[in-house]
Amino acid sequence: MEMWELGLILGMLLAATVAFIWLALNIGSGAKNKKNPNDAFTEQAEKDVEHIFNDDFREELRNRGRLHFEKIIGENAMFLQQDLRLTTSQLNEFMKTEITRKLQEEFAKYEESITDAKQLAIDSINKTQEAIEQQRKMMSQQLSQELANEKARLIHRFEENMADIINHYVLAAIGDQIDLNDQLEYILSDLETNKEAIIRDITDGAG
Amino acid sequence: MEQDKSIIVLPTGVTGRMDVGRLVREVDALDQFLEQAAVRKPGTPMQMPKTSKLLDEMLETNKINALVEDDRKRLLNFLITVRAKAPVMHMSFSADPAPLFTQKLVTWLRDNIHPLVLLHVGIQPNIGAGCIVRTTNKQFDLSLKQDFAKQHPLLMAKIHGSVQEVSHE
Repeated sequence: MEMWELGLILGMLLAATVAFIWLALNIGSGAKNKKNPNDAFTEQAEKDVEHIFNDDFREELRNRGRLHFEKIIGENAMFLQQDLRLTTSQLNEFMKTEITRKLQEEFAKYEESITDAKQLAIDSINKTQEAIEQQRKMMSQQLSQELANEKARLIHRFEENMADIINHYVLAAIGDQIDLNDQLEYILSDLETNKEAIIRDITDGAG
Repeated sequence: MEQDKSIIVLPTGVTGRMDVGRLVREVDALDQFLEQAAVRKPGTPMQMPKTSKLLDEMLETNKINALVEDDRKRLLNFLITVRAKAPVMHMSFSADPAPLFTQKLVTWLRDNIHPLVLLHVGIQPNIGAGCIVRTTNKQFDLSLKQDFAKQHPLLMAKIHGSVQEVSHE
């Protein structure tokens, strides 16, 4: 039930109540204000009526009418009260249902939004973690490659200069103890080995 | 006997071109002195120039009489020719060799390579042991450093073997 329907029902109830009260009040005071026309018969009749409906009788009627009116008023008031209670109860139930439904809808939307945001955050975190992991793997591979290259370069350089290193070591270790006179035999044997080449170069290439 | 006179050899004391040049100058000076002495007045006092140990060795080895003009001329011509045309070998050692060492080396060279070869000695401290020989067009690296370089595969094999042994231990 929409709000405007609720407002319409309430307005109708209020209008009925006002109309009923106005009618009751007019009934009580209407008899006094009525004036018969100028008809003589009417006056005569009034006079006769006054004889019949004297003050005591009128008072009796008035009392009876008042009692009857009060009874009707009481009954209607009771019905109105019941209707009001029922309406209030329905209204409360309706309001409760509507509010609950709205709240549930809003909570559902809110929960959905939170779930979406949470999923987005999780996706973003996962993507970031994947990117970080990839970067870490790439850097690890690069570092390993660099280390391997550097190691290979150092080993290659070490091996390449091994003769110099050994020579330097020998010189530093026993350089002072190597006497040229002790080397003469070694030098002469080397010269003997290269003798032909030396002679050929001196003989043929003398310039 | 005449043929023996014409053969002149270099004594082992004469090793390099500088020694030959020094002998050339000395023989030339001696020759000039003796030429001047020949035209002096008889009885004029004169003092013979002193000859170096190297020249003495040269004269003695080749049985040359320095007072004889022909011998002097022959010696001078020989020395000039040697200085100009004799083959020169450069040998570098890790240290300055002793004269006796140089003489032994020159003796071997003149016996085995060329009888008139001259030796120029240089120093290269980084070669360790051995020597580097440079002739007219070639260089012979007979140093310990070169030996190590030649034995590089063996050296690496030994090192790798030692490394593997250490790894297994």
